[in-house]
Amino acid sequence: MATLRIGTAVLDGTGIARGYLKVGDMPDGRPMQIPVLLAQGARPGPTLWIHGCVHGNEACGAFVVHRLMRELDTATLSGTIVALPILNITAFRSKARMSPFEGFSGGDLNRAFPGKADGTLTEQMAHAIYTELKAHAGYLVDLHTAMTADVRWALFPNAPGEVGQKSESMARAFGFNSTLPAPIDILAGSAMMVAARDGIPGLIVEAGGKGPAFTAALVSDVVERLRNVMRQIGMLTGTVAQHGPLTYFSNFAWVRAVQGGLFQRAVQCGERLKAGTVLGHYYDLWGQPTGEALSPQAGVVLAIHPGPIMASGETLVHIGLDPREV
Amino acid sequence: MAPATTVIRVGTAEAAGVGVTRGELRVGDTPDGEAVTIPVAIVRGAGEGPVLWINGCVHGDEFCGAFIIHEMLRTLDATSLSGVVVALPILNITASQRGQRMSPFATFGFGDLNRCFPGNPGGAFTDQMAHAIYSPLRQYADYFIDFHTALTPDTRWALFANAPGDVGRKSEGIARAFGLKSTLPAPMDILGGSSMIAAARDGIPSLIVEMGGIGPAFERETVLEGAERLRNVMRHLGMLAEKPTEHGPLTYFSNFAWVNATRGGLFERAVQCGERVDKGTLVGRYIGAHGDIVEEVKSPHAGIVLAINPGPAMATGDVLVHIGLDPRDT
Repeated sequence: MATLRIGTAVLDGTGIARGYLKVGDMPDGRPMQIPVLLAQGARPGPTLWIHGCVHGNEACGAFVVHRLMRELDTATLSGTIVALPILNITAFRSKARMSPFEGFSGGDLNRAFPGKADGTLTEQMAHAIYTELKAHAGYLVDLHTAMTADVRWALFPNAPGEVGQKSESMARAFGFNSTLPAPIDILAGSAMMVAARDGIPGLIVEAGGKGPAFTAALVSDVVERLRNVMRQIGMLTGTVAQHGPLTYFSNFAWVRAVQGGLFQRAVQCGERLKAGTVLGHYYDLWGQPTGEALSPQAGVVLAIHPGPIMASGETLVHIGLDPREV
Repeated sequence: MAPATTVIRVGTAEAAGVGVTRGELRVGDTPDGEAVTIPVAIVRGAGEGPVLWINGCVHGDEFCGAFIIHEMLRTLDATSLSGVVVALPILNITASQRGQRMSPFATFGFGDLNRCFPGNPGGAFTDQMAHAIYSPLRQYADYFIDFHTALTPDTRWALFANAPGDVGRKSEGIARAFGLKSTLPAPMDILGGSSMIAAARDGIPSLIVEMGGIGPAFERETVLEGAERLRNVMRHLGMLAEKPTEHGPLTYFSNFAWVNATRGGLFERAVQCGERVDKGTLVGRYIGAHGDIVEEVKSPHAGIVLAINPGPAMATGDVLVHIGLDPRDT
């Protein structure tokens, strides 16, 4: 079995190795490095690359990766797992989406792939990560967290040919009812889309809430679904659980708040919307109603702002469009 | 009790007769010279009765209180009210706008507004805010309730000023009418600088409520429950006509213990609010960057969980768990 090496994590045979991948330097000159876990099974098989916290405050993904790896028995594994639970480590420490060291150009790591060796901090991070991903990954799973604890949806690259077919089979094995076959021209710079163009099937999972909306129940559910993906791609034995028909969308709509104020949501994730459905209520400082947020489009709620406060321009709701059972 | 002829004036809100008056109280200035003002609502009832003063968001990110106060105000009919409600739902407005506990204008360790009462007109930003808020509170309030929010949606506890004599008895009366099972008769030597203790020393019966979770842990159920409990306090005080609900025996504590984290890491809690813990009960697990469980945290005290850190990430010194000590049913 060939030696597997990512950063300081090195694995010569069956088992699990831990180490760090350097993605940049801190302002005090110490290395900015992110945790890496490698697992090699007793039998040959594909390489599954899983990462979390591409956005620093989306911690559910880290917990999912951690639990999956803690509960993994490499004696029953076919193939290899490369797991990076916390990509955007400096953002994670700040409990923020983006790194505090990113000066200009936004800092959204999931718009920076494949990265740039001499670009901004976030581009250099993306480059360090994606170079390894491209070299090793047979399949990619990218774990995200949204705003509220009830978020449950997934998207896969609807690429032509085998990449799209394999991505769809991962999404069906994962089995969230709300699933978007993502048009290949959206989410430019995301790890999933860049990998799909490089021939690597992938899946983005959006599950659970940030900060104090974090719940342990979510972690167990997602880990079990990931194991089902691993059965589907031949890394674990056992029957692949069938989740039945899913609800597919044509695309999604991000809807921004054009009003600010105190806010209470009126819908739950997974709920059907019509154009004009009340999404939530705005109030002024005295508690008087100042407006209703109405859905501009029909579809299914993928994510909804939890309140309690909103500034104009924040993401009010994320809608899956043209739902159909497939 | 404010005589019916007295005008109640808090900032620009001036309540002379029956009905609702809204205005703003200036509590300071921003660095660009604009006034920092906070919302005030005064509801003056048709009947005679006490002045109930209600505050929210003394810590800027504790929004459940603002929503509870708002919900109660929206359902309050001045013609069926006896007495006066003075509500300041968002005290620490510059902190609230940022969704954080303390004001960005706070200086040098004076950031916790609930440690600055009765305030100081020549003090730091937060001292001056406290002074602007506390002066009319002391002038008008017969009873005082201060609403807080903790970390997780399941937080439900209260504490009242266990002052000697009438103030303590009346404080206990409003705590029992609010009726959260976990209730601390707060020793008068803790929470120095809180508005509750400052008010109790000035003879005003007082209660602090801790309900619900901050940020994305915000839930409407907490708001509806809190507003109904608040109405029950108003029934108990004779401000609303209906008979108050009896909540039965509560669990009292001798004091509370704040336990701070002595290590950092990813964190998963193992207990819920209201749960009994013994010394040594598992309260949560620290997880390293690679997913190893690096420590199982045990409770250093026996008692009841008042608040618990929800994770997902913790640095050393964060509040790990808040425990009510020596629980007893009364």
